[in-house]
Amino acid sequence: MNPQLQLLVAIQDLELMIRDVEDAEQAHEMEEMGFDMGGLDKLKEAHKELQAKLEPRHRSYYRRLTQHFGHAVVPVINNLCTGCFANIPASFVSQTHKEKVLACENCGRILYWP
Amino acid sequence: MDIADVLKHTSADLFLPDLQATDKESALSEMVDGLISGTPITNKETVLQMLLSRENLGSTAVGPGVAFPHGRTLAVQKLTILIAQSKKGIPFDAEDGKPTHLFFMLIAPPQDSGHQYIKSLAVLTDIMQNASLRKSAMKAEGYDSFCVALQEG
Repeated sequence: MNPQLQLLVAIQDLELMIRDVEDAEQAHEMEEMGFDMGGLDKLKEAHKELQAKLEPRHRSYYRRLTQHFGHAVVPVINNLCTGCFANIPASFVSQTHKEKVLACENCGRILYWP
Repeated sequence: MDIADVLKHTSADLFLPDLQATDKESALSEMVDGLISGTPITNKETVLQMLLSRENLGSTAVGPGVAFPHGRTLAVQKLTILIAQSKKGIPFDAEDGKPTHLFFMLIAPPQDSGHQYIKSLAVLTDIMQNASLRKSAMKAEGYDSFCVALQEG
C-alpha cells in the first residue's frame, strides 16, 4: 500500500477518534462504561505528527476534501466509490491502486481498497 | 441489544485462547494478527495504529482483569469482535495495576450503523462487572464454552 495513502487513512481514523472524544454525549457514554478519555492532547499531538509526514500536495488536497465531505478517504467496495457510488474504472482496479494515491473521477474523494 | 446480539459479530475464528504476548503493544499486535487471519481484513498497520492511538487516549483495561481495545477505522467494513484470553496475564495499564487476562477487541467501520459498536461495547463492559461470569469466561476452554459462559451470566 502506498505509504502516503496509509498516512491519509491513519489521519482520518485519528480525526474520527478526536471527534468522538469531543462529542460530549459520546464521551459521557464512554466514561459511564469506565473508559478514561483524558488523553485528548496526546491524540492531537499524534495528529500533528502524522500530518507533518504527508507530502504538501496530499495534505492540501485532503484538507480541501474535508471542507466538502464528511470523509475525504473512502473505501472502494464492489468497484464502487462508497462516497458517491460511481463505478471505478477497471483501469484503476489493478496493481496501480497499491502504488498511487488515486481520487474518484466523479467526486474527487481519495480511494482506498480495504 | 443483549450478549447474543453481540456474539453475532464474532466467531470461533476470532477466538484466541492463549495470547503469548508479554506487553501491551505486542498483545495488540497479536490480536490484530488474529483478526487478519480470521477475516478478510488485510491492513494490519492501519488497525494497529488506530488501537495504539486509542490506548494513548486512556487504557481500555477498565474491568478487573479485562480490557476492551476498540475503535473505528476505514480498514474494516463491518463491526468485528475478537476475543482473547491470556493465562499468564498481560500488563495493560489497568487502573488497579494488575495484569489483564481477558480481551474483547471491537473494530468498527467509520459509519457505525445503528451504533452497534457503542451498544456492543456497553453490553460487554456491563456483563463483565459480574465477578462470577468474569471468572467463568476467563476459565472457559474454547470458543463454544466461552460463549456459553457469557450467555449463562
